[in-house]
Amino acid sequence: MREVAEESEVGQLFVTSLIRSQLRLALVVAGGFLIILIGIPVLLTLFPSISGVTVFTVPVPWLLLGFCIYPLVIGCAALYVRSASRNEKRFQDLIDEF
Amino acid sequence: MNSELLPSSGIGMNPVVGYAALVLVALSTVLIGIYGLRISRTTGDFYVASRTVRPWWNASAIGGEYLSAASFLGVAGLILISGVDALWFPIGYTAGYLMLLLFVAAPLRRSGAYTIPDFAQARLDSLLVRRVTSLLVIVVGWLYIVPQLHGAALTVRITTGLPSWVGPVAVVVVVALSVVTGGMRSITFVQAFQYWLKLTALAVPLVFILLRLGSTGMPLTAQGAAFTADLDITGQASLYSTISLVIALLFGTLGLPHILVRFYTNPDGASARRTTLIVLGLLSVFYLLPTAYGILGRIYTPELATGGGADSTVLLLPGRIFDGVAGDLLSALVTAGAFAAFLSTTSGLVVSLAGVVSQEFFSGSVRGFRRAAVISAAIPLVFALLTDTQALAGSVGSVFAFTASTICPLLLLGIWWTGLTDVGAVAGMLTGAVLCGGAILSAALLGSEAAAEFAWLQQPALWTVPAAFLVTVLASKATRNRRPPGTSRVLARLHSPETP
Repeated sequence: MREVAEESEVGQLFVTSLIRSQLRLALVVAGGFLIILIGIPVLLTLFPSISGVTVFTVPVPWLLLGFCIYPLVIGCAALYVRSASRNEKRFQDLIDEF
Repeated sequence: MNSELLPSSGIGMNPVVGYAALVLVALSTVLIGIYGLRISRTTGDFYVASRTVRPWWNASAIGGEYLSAASFLGVAGLILISGVDALWFPIGYTAGYLMLLLFVAAPLRRSGAYTIPDFAQARLDSLLVRRVTSLLVIVVGWLYIVPQLHGAALTVRITTGLPSWVGPVAVVVVVALSVVTGGMRSITFVQAFQYWLKLTALAVPLVFILLRLGSTGMPLTAQGAAFTADLDITGQASLYSTISLVIALLFGTLGLPHILVRFYTNPDGASARRTTLIVLGLLSVFYLLPTAYGILGRIYTPELATGGGADSTVLLLPGRIFDGVAGDLLSALVTAGAFAAFLSTTSGLVVSLAGVVSQEFFSGSVRGFRRAAVISAAIPLVFALLTDTQALAGSVGSVFAFTASTICPLLLLGIWWTGLTDVGAVAGMLTGAVLCGGAILSAALLGSEAAAEFAWLQQPALWTVPAAFLVTVLASKATRNRRPPGTSRVLARLHSPETP
């Protein structure tokens, strides 16, 4: 199948579109994650009073950075793995049909 | 030698505990290495374990290899010193794998190369690019091994009272032995074992500590004082420093030589992605532990913040909460975990460096690999013995900034952009190396007094990484006619799924 993709002209077209959709997916996930991640220190700098809020004696910045980030990372990763595999599956189906 | 005579042992750790822990970890490492030797025979086995390692094994091995001295000791130490700002380090170390998953994992596995220089040559068909990449990989690897050895020096000094040089020498000897005898296959087993050892070594003492604190009514966070206590000797990090650090850690992980070589041991691109997802889970669970140690340390070991001994928080905390045998046993466990951290990261780095060095200078044979492994371990040992220990998490941060500015642009653009040329790649890598290396060196020369105004030198990633990317792209565009003819073929191979 890889040979088909590499050698025929239509195969090249499919590959190009696969690469483009994988790149778009990666950029969207990375962008979303980075906006949230960088957003945290920006918000804390703009509104320093957030640091005073506590949940069970734990200040909100500690809670966000020490714990909440990790489920977010895993969520982004799981989302990406599913969508990337789907893109590949679609590509494979196209090649098989062809 | 009587440990009470040594100044560093005034902190009351039983040296027998230290010896027992170190000997146990070293022995089990060598034993698992020998067990692996029976399976690995061919050159392919030596380098990449014949690509037959399952995702869970492989993910544990990646975790084991990645969780270094900076993670095991440095994170808690930094939380002790600088509080909430330190939490960015474990976040960056973890999220770096997210970037790796998004942009690199599957395509790089499909490239079918053994090392980053292999990838560079296959992609750009240029010996010069290969040479420059090899050189950078070797520099990065050595820079990264040195803090591991500093961590070993600190741990051995504190736990046994022996002189500082014993730790690094012991680590290098054990690593050289296990790498030379087993190659990558045995290393995979050793590393996987060491992830779980490190996790246990922090989790079990923490559970006992929390139970003890809970049952005796001793303060857990001292009504939040643990978070607000002003132990800061570093001053608050500016927004610039924080963002720059995050960029360095996120994009530096991509280029670490010992990380990439692991991905070649996955059978295909899809399993490389699955492996990375598991790694993210393993890292997320792990980093909650040193964070907890750091927070507890702010109540129970606050005096470590000023004496330059912050990195020993994890080692000393169990002994502060428990006396007698219980304290000794728990201390032995964390010591074992710390030693596992130096061993696993160092051996991972030595394996990947040996792969590069032997292909560059010894024609890639198994004998050449062994010789290269000894060289790769010995040179950073000399550096480590000649230099002083710094804050572990910080010095590792500089290495991340350097890889993010040099190897990361080559990988990302090489995988995703057809326009990359050999001239562009070399120009970008050299720009990144000169700018980032120069910034870190000048920050070191200026010293920590000038900290505030020179944040842009201490945390250079925010401008050196874009600069390296920009130069790579511009130089590639200017040399459009040098695009290797097989580019679209190579990219197709990187991105199309393997035939089942």
